[in-house]
Amino acid sequence: MKLGLTSQLIILLATIGVVSSGATGYYAYRANRTMLVNEAQQSLLTSTRLLDQRFSSALHDVAEDALVLAVMPSARKISESVEHAPPDGRERLEQVFMSFMQYHSDYLQLRLISRAHYGLERVRVDRGPNGVIAVPEAGLQEKGHFAYVFDTLAVPAGHIYLSPIVINHEAGTHAASGRPIVRVGTPLVGANGANVGVLVIDVDLTRVFARLARDLPQRDQVYMANQWGDFLIHPDPALAFGFDRGQRVLMQETFPETKPLFDESGAQMTISGYEHRRDGRIYAFARTPFGAVEGNRFVVLGLARPLTAVLVPADALGGRITRMVIVFSVFALVLAILFARALTKPLHTLASAALRVFDHPPDARLPTERSDEIGILARCFDSMCREIRLQMSELHSKQRELAHLAGHDALTGLPNRMLFMEKLAAAIDTATRTGQRLAVIFIDLDRFKQINDQLGHWAGDRALTVVAERLASVLRASDMAARLGGDEFIVLIVDMQSAGVVEEIAMRIAEAMNEDLQLGDQRLKIGASVGISEFPADGLTAEELLLKADAAMYAAKSSRCGMHRRYQELASPGAVS
Amino acid sequence: MRISSNWLRIDLRGFIGRITSGRLPTRVLLRGIAAFVALVPISGISLGASDAVPQNLLRVLAWPGYADADVVKQFETRFHAKVQVTFVDSDETLWEQMHRGSPPAFDVLAANTAEIQRYTQHNLLAPLDVSKIPNTRLQLPMFRQRSTIGGIEHDGTVYAIPFTYSSMGLIYDRKQVSVEPRSMLELWNPQYRGRTLDFNSAQHNFSFAALALGYRDPFHLTPAQMRTVTHKLIELRRNLLTLYTLPEEATALFVEHHAAMMFGNYGTQQIELLRRAGVDVGYVIPDEGALAWLDCWAITRGARNRALALSWINYMLEPEVSGLLPQRQGLASTLGPASGHAADNGKHLFWIQPVEDIAQRESLWRRIVSGEPPERFPR
Repeated sequence: MKLGLTSQLIILLATIGVVSSGATGYYAYRANRTMLVNEAQQSLLTSTRLLDQRFSSALHDVAEDALVLAVMPSARKISESVEHAPPDGRERLEQVFMSFMQYHSDYLQLRLISRAHYGLERVRVDRGPNGVIAVPEAGLQEKGHFAYVFDTLAVPAGHIYLSPIVINHEAGTHAASGRPIVRVGTPLVGANGANVGVLVIDVDLTRVFARLARDLPQRDQVYMANQWGDFLIHPDPALAFGFDRGQRVLMQETFPETKPLFDESGAQMTISGYEHRRDGRIYAFARTPFGAVEGNRFVVLGLARPLTAVLVPADALGGRITRMVIVFSVFALVLAILFARALTKPLHTLASAALRVFDHPPDARLPTERSDEIGILARCFDSMCREIRLQMSELHSKQRELAHLAGHDALTGLPNRMLFMEKLAAAIDTATRTGQRLAVIFIDLDRFKQINDQLGHWAGDRALTVVAERLASVLRASDMAARLGGDEFIVLIVDMQSAGVVEEIAMRIAEAMNEDLQLGDQRLKIGASVGISEFPADGLTAEELLLKADAAMYAAKSSRCGMHRRYQELASPGAVS
Repeated sequence: MRISSNWLRIDLRGFIGRITSGRLPTRVLLRGIAAFVALVPISGISLGASDAVPQNLLRVLAWPGYADADVVKQFETRFHAKVQVTFVDSDETLWEQMHRGSPPAFDVLAANTAEIQRYTQHNLLAPLDVSKIPNTRLQLPMFRQRSTIGGIEHDGTVYAIPFTYSSMGLIYDRKQVSVEPRSMLELWNPQYRGRTLDFNSAQHNFSFAALALGYRDPFHLTPAQMRTVTHKLIELRRNLLTLYTLPEEATALFVEHHAAMMFGNYGTQQIELLRRAGVDVGYVIPDEGALAWLDCWAITRGARNRALALSWINYMLEPEVSGLLPQRQGLASTLGPASGHAADNGKHLFWIQPVEDIAQRESLWRRIVSGEPPERFPR
């Protein structure tokens, strides 16, 4: 199916409108989405750094507790004691330890360990299933072979040792058993200034993070890895401390983008990115020093946030954009219809004007006053129409002239034989229907040939003209005269109230013909023979009537007595008018 | 009358438009971090598709480094076969894979002697016709005397062929220990107090301490021997700097604390790490002998094409193939002395075996490690 210009324009313009508003909407949505993701990455990176700071600060608080406890004189005395610790001093210290434990729910163990006796624990307070427990002397163990003891002993007084984060496998540790822990230790200085023991606080890493991450949005996932990349904290607990079960789950494998963080140059690095796997999420990782600086130990902390949470505002905007696009599309469609119509209306006007070029008056609705291309077209079209009309009217007048010449005698201006015969036939038709009578009067000039021969064609022509004028003067308006040719004239009488009318007219004709004719300096009498035939009496056809009128005229001419004869009179010889 | 215009006929379509004997870390160490793979299927493996197995298809269950792509390719070309390798990273995974189908959906597998013993007891392996594995003649005599290797022979029938091994000897710092140690008992030497390292494992510590004490069967201790070994291990603990788990950790401790010697759970492979860390270390197999794991190839009961499976084992024992073990993996081949650390050849190695009561060893070890004083253990 072929579409009209209006439909084509509507489809084209509406499509341009819908596509452009749709494309603009889509790119606005994409740009907003990208902006939100970038912004969320930045905010996540800030959150990660904040988490870093909070973790460092949480460890700093533990360290301060350890330092406070380490400077207690009873602590030094107990750790220095060679055999059994003084009972009263030990009990008091246990009380202090217990109150510290009560105030710090993330402390799992608080211990005083001596350098002597293979690192024998002197005071130990554990978190048990039903509160804080002071472990009796019979339950104390030798810890000298643990790094947190020998490494802390190697630290200068007033300094802190921070253990690697591990799963506690030590037996008889109550609630600390199987927990991910970090140990914070500080040396106890003896009377001689040497380190005689250590004070160690075992901190539950899970609880620390539960506290630190409390302010984080629920949807944020916390990750932590040691300097080798082993996950220490993972949203899926089964993937944390994999090395403890003989399966290493590494951060740089789960998040390949974090690889540079584990290189020597990655100390100040932060990584943030956008993960396309799964349902998509953004993440931020930062490396933070952990423990003694010379040990070059660090942890990598990271946060991940599902993209769906980040993109909530983008989806809301998407909905609004969709509505806007729909509204603008409808608007574009309406505009397209209006515009297409405004453009094609003058074209339709021109089209209809082209159909009515010859109407009178010419169509005045053409938009000729417009200054645009349509105005030019209308003006051009208008002048073209005028030209056509002018040419056509000239053509029509020429046609009329030709038609007149075809039916009239050039010299006298009277209808010629052809036109007369048409009119006679038409009059016969009318008379046949109405029952009227008609008469045909044949006139033949008597002395025309003589005039022509004696006075020349000029005189002949002049005579014929005068004859025609005289004929016209004697005839009524309803009658009709014609020149048959040469010196023969014929008259059609239609309005015949009585038979006498014809006779009267014939007589008047004959009289008019007998009047003197001034031709130059000569006065002549031209004279004429007149024959009459009547309808329906003498014939029913034009030719018949003409022949019979001609015959009557001959009779009149040969009788030389009368000036006119009726054909009926010929039928009854003797009858003379 | 109709107006139509060609310039408006626009095409609108344009718009609408493991850790048993610490084996996993060994491989982790050797192959880099990438060895953490539960299953690494090669060349489009499909498990359990035993029903539609073509005759020339060989399904191999192996450890990383045993069937490298180039080795597999060469076998495929030579035997006009198709090989599907499934890698395992722990004895547990191996056990799972072997039990996915009944009979097992594999033709050949590699496992240590203790595991081979277990599979044999569970009737998962097919007996081997050693005459069809001519390359066994190239093996060192100690690996040809299969009856002396616990676990691979049962009622006179051979079920597995040794392929590669690693010993757990004594690593020492040549600068601090001028005379080469001759026994693990050096770890108890008070001269090195606080300068020795041990691997944190119940099984092996009891076993090597038993060997050091001169017990003949370190894997099956009598209750009296167990009590003695327990006290011996407490003494060891008191003499140690500390215990390690990971090889990197061992190296770091050794370097940082200037350790003098350590029990080399990861064997010769640890030496490379220490040397790279700048320590002049030596490696010895003590006179009383050392623990060692020995991986063997075996054919499962589910093998469709035993001839092809035998060809695979024979191919694995070719010098060019077995030779890759020391080259690429730092492991010893059964064909002959291959590396500088292989001074242990000819010395007595105790192929690890299932122990008398693993739970008891672990429970005791946990208490020892936790620092319980000797008074709390029965004598």
